[in-house]
Amino acid sequence: MSLVPNFMHLRTAPQGMSLKHAPHPELLSVISRSLSCSLGLAFKPLLTAGCVTSVLITAAPVRSAEVVLYKLETQCSQRGGASINCMVEAVNAGASTRYRHHLGKTIETVRISDDPLTMSLWKPESKQWQTLHNASGRFSTNTVCFNDQDLCVINPNYLNSVRQDNPTKLAGRDLVRVHFGSDGRIDASCYDAGCELVKP
Amino acid sequence: MTIHSGLGLLLAGIVALPALPAMATFRAPSSSAASELSTVVARGGGGGSRGGGRGGSSSRGNRGGGGGGARTGFSTAGGGGGLNRGASRPDGGWSSNSRGPRAGGSPSLDRRPGTGSGGTRGSGATNVGDRNQGNRNLGDRNLSDRNLNQNLNRNVERNWNRTVNINNVNLRPGWARPGWGYARPWNYGWYGGWASPSWGWWGARAAVWGIGALASAAIINEAVDNAINSQQTMFVVPNSNYQLLYGTVQPLGSTGVQFAVNANGNTYELSADCQSGLLNGVQPASAAEAELLNAACQVAFGNS
Repeated sequence: MSLVPNFMHLRTAPQGMSLKHAPHPELLSVISRSLSCSLGLAFKPLLTAGCVTSVLITAAPVRSAEVVLYKLETQCSQRGGASINCMVEAVNAGASTRYRHHLGKTIETVRISDDPLTMSLWKPESKQWQTLHNASGRFSTNTVCFNDQDLCVINPNYLNSVRQDNPTKLAGRDLVRVHFGSDGRIDASCYDAGCELVKP
Repeated sequence: MTIHSGLGLLLAGIVALPALPAMATFRAPSSSAASELSTVVARGGGGGSRGGGRGGSSSRGNRGGGGGGARTGFSTAGGGGGLNRGASRPDGGWSSNSRGPRAGGSPSLDRRPGTGSGGTRGSGATNVGDRNQGNRNLGDRNLSDRNLNQNLNRNVERNWNRTVNINNVNLRPGWARPGWGYARPWNYGWYGGWASPSWGWWGARAAVWGIGALASAAIINEAVDNAINSQQTMFVVPNSNYQLLYGTVQPLGSTGVQFAVNANGNTYELSADCQSGLLNGVQPASAAEAELLNAACQVAFGNS
């Protein structure tokens, strides 16, 4: 039985996940190690060196867990409806990028991580991330859509970044679509006319 | 002896067993039709070429490496499938506003024919109206080319003194793609739209050169679109022998532009002032240079 307090529940903190509200996972690790050392020192003096290191790391300035990449005034649509003004706030949150779509008083947050690529939508009612079924990007219209057309946004920033990271792979491509399995990982992907073949 | 043989077989079995999963993972996943379909589709996405080695030369630093690993066909099924988290800053930076009159339509996954450059803008009508002027220029092409061949070396030697190693230039920035006109992350839309540019030197020079107008926005936009669609990193500037590497176009301040151009077997880095119509700080010395200036400015700041 571990005497180390369990901070893991804090990792599920979603919106506005900054150090003000929830520690960064790396910080959690340091805190855990430090507490472990404090308790362990009474019994095992040999752990001292490692604990000193942990304390030093803890005392060092900790960068904010979130870095705002950009805020984009743009246009969105929901469930295939009319275009509405919205603001996209893209935030680098450690292992993932959060895209907060501000549509009036509503905020739709999509979390995207790499290796493997996963995408999920924050469900405020259940306070959980829900895996997306699919996502699409159309370069020529600078549009990105999540879960078919449940949420679409004109976001050239995202597509520029994607394109520049994969210049060869995406050369000559316009439409990109990925489909996620129940485990949240890609189980099908397609380009352009190929997407006609993988329509549900 | 029997015991030893049996032990040997057992050990052989133990040694062999861990190898089985490894071999299985090396083969195409066969557990589901979706996996196989994904693999097949992913191969297409990779461009069908496994030659590799392209990424490094196509961009600065290691930026081009992202596509290389996915071209084995299998890796895409477990990788990003063409998308990723979008956290790396593209050349030109992040845009803060994709709204406004030029934004036009709503988000759409439908391809919009003929709007490759502008995407959602819907501002093509004005440009198309300028087309005849552009065609007239193109009709003079043979004459211009003949003059250009005579002037090119002199001009290059006169003022183009900065060659660049093409391998160190990013020819495929994120915005240089379908929808490029709208994807440009800087301020644009103010350049062009005139019957004749407002450059103070233009009228007299144009008369000497014997040309009435520069290539229209529509002509240049179409050239960029065609280059993107055919996966070319350059296009021939109308009425010239210059090849503009359109992906190298970068704004310098609010009215300046920097770009690379192929001429006379070399690649040069040039700058231009799109408001006063200067190329590398001086007035163009030929119609071809004026066309180059105009093309670079249109790509950087024009309506599309």
